[in-house]
Amino acid sequence: MGNDDDTELMDSGSFMRPYLLTGGRTRSDAGELAVEAMVAVSAGAPMPSQKELAQIYDLCQTPNSIAEISAKCSMPLGVARVLVADLWGDGTLEVLETTRSDDIAIVRRLLDGIRNR
Amino acid sequence: MASGTDNAPQARPVSAKVVVSGGFGVGKTTFVSAVSEIAPLRTEAKMTSAASEVDDGTLVASKTSTTVAMDFGKITVDQGLVLYVFGTPGQDRFGFMWNDITAGALGALILVDTRRLDECFNAIDFFEQRNVPFIIGLNQFDGAPHHDTEDIREALDLPKYVPIIRTDARSSDGALDTLVQLLSHILTTLAQNATPVAAAAPAPVAAPEPQRAAPVVTNDMRSAAMSALAAERGQ
Ligand SMILES: Nc1nc2c(ncn2[C@@H]2O[C@H](COP(=O)(O)OP(=O)(O)OP(=O)(O)O)[C@@H](O)[C@H]2O)c(=O)[nH]1
Ligand SMILES: [Mg+2]
Repeated sequence: MGNDDDTELMDSGSFMRPYLLTGGRTRSDAGELAVEAMVAVSAGAPMPSQKELAQIYDLCQTPNSIAEISAKCSMPLGVARVLVADLWGDGTLEVLETTRSDDIAIVRRLLDGIRNR
Repeated sequence: MASGTDNAPQARPVSAKVVVSGGFGVGKTTFVSAVSEIAPLRTEAKMTSAASEVDDGTLVASKTSTTVAMDFGKITVDQGLVLYVFGTPGQDRFGFMWNDITAGALGALILVDTRRLDECFNAIDFFEQRNVPFIIGLNQFDGAPHHDTEDIREALDLPKYVPIIRTDARSSDGALDTLVQLLSHILTTLAQNATPVAAAAPAPVAAPEPQRAAPVVTNDMRSAAMSALAAERGQ
């Protein structure tokens, strides 16, 4: 079955720019972050000058997950991950806690919270 | 704590993740929309070799780059806890973005269209192999034959402890209820792993089984080792 999505994206001018930003990297030297990991601007960190990084900085005045950053800044997930990890590496962003997949207390809290809505 | 914002006490929420999976067109996007408090966000999941350098030093999109849309929703459970619901991309299902999306997930909902049961086999294998707890949600498609859930269990070769429930991805109540059932199953699984007594031990099946109930990362290695030992000694 044909899939035209990628052709469309390739043709749009905005497609290439994010990849140029990461210099083609798929990982940051700073490390790997989970797509649901929330990040927020570190207290007192200066705004980066580069446009996309500044956009992330603005958004992360309140905590946002990498997936949300990707969607809200319209950048592919792989790019958002690398840029966010870079900003984490240089201290601009801090990473908030994600739950461990075996955290019973958290699962119970999720269950109660969702059941009672 | 000094902070520039006035909602400082709630400023550091913890996040968790569950995954909605299944074959092509089974209602993953519909489900994510139904449970999410925000309009489901879409992002592109892949960037592998999306750009490669050509002779003159310019970057071009290489042919190998496939961009797959991925949807996810968000539920703010309480002010300090956020649950993300990620849908696995419909195409290129077993590419590395599946690992990215599912790594660290508490559990998974595998949606099934009873007219095309075989489409969920790959998803079942994927989560079984990674010891991610999952439940099966049967979406009630119009005109689909109404199978008994136990017949479906047999067809999917699933052990008794995997819940198979009927759901409707189109209704927010139905979808939230399904999410509740997934979370209770995760809780049951974790609780069983945490106690050395295997009260509801998996029924023996013909094929050798991975330890489905074990979480990807065990919190307490000792208790895991103890329960393995207890299981070995014959329940
Ligand atoms: N009757 C019925 N129809 C449904 C249900 N869930 C989804 N649908 C319909 O099924 C179609 C496909 O749903 P999607 O949510 O796009 O499925 P998907 O799994 O995201 O599809 P892909 O991403 O393309 O694999 C849509 O027309 C939905 O309206 C359900 O619970 N019952
Ligand atoms: Mg979809």
